Amino acid sequence: MALRSRVLAAVAAALPLALAAGCSGGTTPGEAAAAQAGPTASIPAGPANGPQSLSETGSTLLFPVLRNWAAAYRQQHSNVTIATASTGSGKGIAEASAGQVDIGASDAYLSSGDLITNPAMVNIPLAVSAQQVNYNLPGLRPATHLKLNGKILALMYQGAITSWNDPRIAAINPGVRLPRTPVVPLHRADSSGDTFLFTSYLSTQDAAWDRVTGYGTTVNWPPVPGARAETRNTGMVAGCEAIPGCVAYIGIAYLASATAGGLGYASLRNALGAYEAPTPRAIGTAVTSFVSTTPVNETISMVDGPAVTGYPIVNYEYAIVSTKQRSAAKARDIKAFLHWVITAGNAPQYLDQFRFQPLPASIVSLSDAQIAKIG
Amino acid sequence: MTTTSAPPPAPSPAPGSPQHAPAGTRRRRRTVPASLRLLLIGLVVAAVAYGAVGTWTVIQHASAAQDVVSTSEPLSLAAQRMYQALSDADVTATTAFLIGPNVRLAARERYAADVGRAAAELTGLENATTTSANPRLVHSLAAVAAGLPVYTGYVSQAQTQFLLGYRLTAGSLMQVASEEMHLTLLPAARASYAQENAALTAASAQATGLPWIVVVLVLAIALAYVLYRAQRWLSRSTNRVFNLGMLAATVALVVSAVWLIGSFAVARTDLQRAVGHGSVPAEALAQAAIDTQQARGYQVLNLISRSGDATFVKDFQAIRARLGPGPGTLLAAAAGSSSGAGAHWAAAAGHDLQAWYTVIGHAYDLDSKAQYTTETALVIGPGANASTAGFARVESDLSRAINADHAVFHSNATAGRNAFTGLDVVIVLAAVLMAAGCAWGLSRRLAEYR
Repeated sequence: MALRSRVLAAVAAALPLALAAGCSGGTTPGEAAAAQAGPTASIPAGPANGPQSLSETGSTLLFPVLRNWAAAYRQQHSNVTIATASTGSGKGIAEASAGQVDIGASDAYLSSGDLITNPAMVNIPLAVSAQQVNYNLPGLRPATHLKLNGKILALMYQGAITSWNDPRIAAINPGVRLPRTPVVPLHRADSSGDTFLFTSYLSTQDAAWDRVTGYGTTVNWPPVPGARAETRNTGMVAGCEAIPGCVAYIGIAYLASATAGGLGYASLRNALGAYEAPTPRAIGTAVTSFVSTTPVNETISMVDGPAVTGYPIVNYEYAIVSTKQRSAAKARDIKAFLHWVITAGNAPQYLDQFRFQPLPASIVSLSDAQIAKIG
Repeated sequence: MTTTSAPPPAPSPAPGSPQHAPAGTRRRRRTVPASLRLLLIGLVVAAVAYGAVGTWTVIQHASAAQDVVSTSEPLSLAAQRMYQALSDADVTATTAFLIGPNVRLAARERYAADVGRAAAELTGLENATTTSANPRLVHSLAAVAAGLPVYTGYVSQAQTQFLLGYRLTAGSLMQVASEEMHLTLLPAARASYAQENAALTAASAQATGLPWIVVVLVLAIALAYVLYRAQRWLSRSTNRVFNLGMLAATVALVVSAVWLIGSFAVARTDLQRAVGHGSVPAEALAQAAIDTQQARGYQVLNLISRSGDATFVKDFQAIRARLGPGPGTLLAAAAGSSSGAGAHWAAAAGHDLQAWYTVIGHAYDLDSKAQYTTETALVIGPGANASTAGFARVESDLSRAINADHAVFHSNATAGRNAFTGLDVVIVLAAVLMAAGCAWGLSRRLAEYR
């Protein structure tokens, strides 16, 4: 693990050098040297001297990872204290924009409205996340991952499929003995990035869903008898565990607790028709297919992407930060911490337990370029 | 025509002759020719100085007025067109995107025309001879030049992703494009417009500025006083009522000064009217048009992003407060200074804006209730009561108002520039006539002492 961490760090440091070297034909030695310095040249190796403190709030999905990152970072830099809080992506964006916290954590990138209001804000991917669809079907073997797709899920959430042994589910799950258990759809009661991701997936795969309900952080859920609304990912896990027949969308960081509670998780149909479970390989493949498309400000939706074997619901977990900090020391602390997160902090020892995936090397480079803007 | 009342005193060698005069009288008689020579030189120099300063001043003002009409105004207009074309390109691209992957030909053509117009105006502004002297303008234009291909690149990328079926990725890229527009291109275009508008205001101020005209008039008054005193002295000392040469010089001075005052007053009035009732309201209306486009863009972007936050509503409210109608708003400023058709269309825009605001408010209400289908129909759908029609009405009103104000500016600025026509020739002729008249008139008197 330590070796992988060092490799990641080396790749992150070397990539800008390699890119600059490849593009330096025809430049003067001075220009080439400046180009080779890359964005990491202005990122400090560590925090400022003396006691330093950083504050973070936001995404409940990213919270456990961030808490671990904060503890590990303090072990390396004992003068830095990082306070983390699990308050939801919306609050993370709002408090970071208002300057009430140093770092906001969000499952979603900043909206154009946010950026127009606060042009100094940037969204920096810290790691790759995904969302699984869980179900509570006690009779099903844990190793079985039901195949589900956007159309079937849309019908479930519209109340058109009311039982798990519906022929339309059976048709895509040959050989699986499905129970007659009633379907109980669970959705988030609060405004949520998870709802945005899930309804986006339904919208891309089912035109009727897109036309009638659509996608968003909140949507008008079709009225379905027995349907339940829960708050936060923890509420979704607990709610689904308590209701046989439930179907729920939950952030990947909660996969372990969901399976430990007896919930199964589905293989989802991707845009090219393949059914993929949220494995590290399928998530990584999905994200890799977006590397060349990701713009320099790293705002991109990766739902239902073009990878043949990619998992369809993946996203970056973002740090929302202002590029205009109130002091040089604060800017230095934030830059050093975020750079550590996307390099050493992306090592398996920090991500694996939460099923998060490391950023692709090119995205690390783009993130570093954004981190370098903080001042 | 008799201009003298008595002949000059005949020189006499008798007791009254200079050779036999007492010492004091001898000094006085020597002083008269010397005084005449001094007066002659002084008046000729003063006439030449009046001509030189007057001609230089007129040329400066005429040149500034010419700059207003032929350089500053076209450049200001080009910067405004670039600004509006960029803003319109963004609204067109995002609206077309929201309608679907099969973009209508009219929308594609409008987007292409907007980008083409922005690029053409940008090239014109970059190549203008006045641009290189303004580092801030160069910086702003460079930002537009750098950002435009980035913007169009993201739009193309979004359209490609959309056609491939990856609508959400396409939507996020369209947001990135729009952010490039709102955070880089439009501020830079706005700064360019502000710089060009400041140059227009400066050129107009130079054309209508008072200091050198006052200097010329003070010189004219001083010269007129000297001419009056000289003629009175000559009249008393020679018993002649008029000196023809000096009388001609006086007439030339008065005519040229009156011509100068009249021309300058006309030019100043016209140019001030051009700015006050033309470019000032046009600038406010152009900003209002761009704000309107941004409000429309926010509506569409909100539907694409569906972030669930209220920032677009806040951004819209900020625009509405700036746009008007109402005291202290852009529309109020434009309506207050526009005249004729400009004022009429500015008032019409205010009326249509109120109706459009109601539709926008309804759309944001639907958004807060997550009724996206109804909201989408209201924002981009057909019908006289939909947002598209309301936006088109406001856009049309503002466009007509801007055109009317530009017409006011152009006609008045041209009239102001034309008021200076021939004035420099008049001043030069007057100066030559004054110098010649004084020289001739005083030489005649001097000759009598030889």
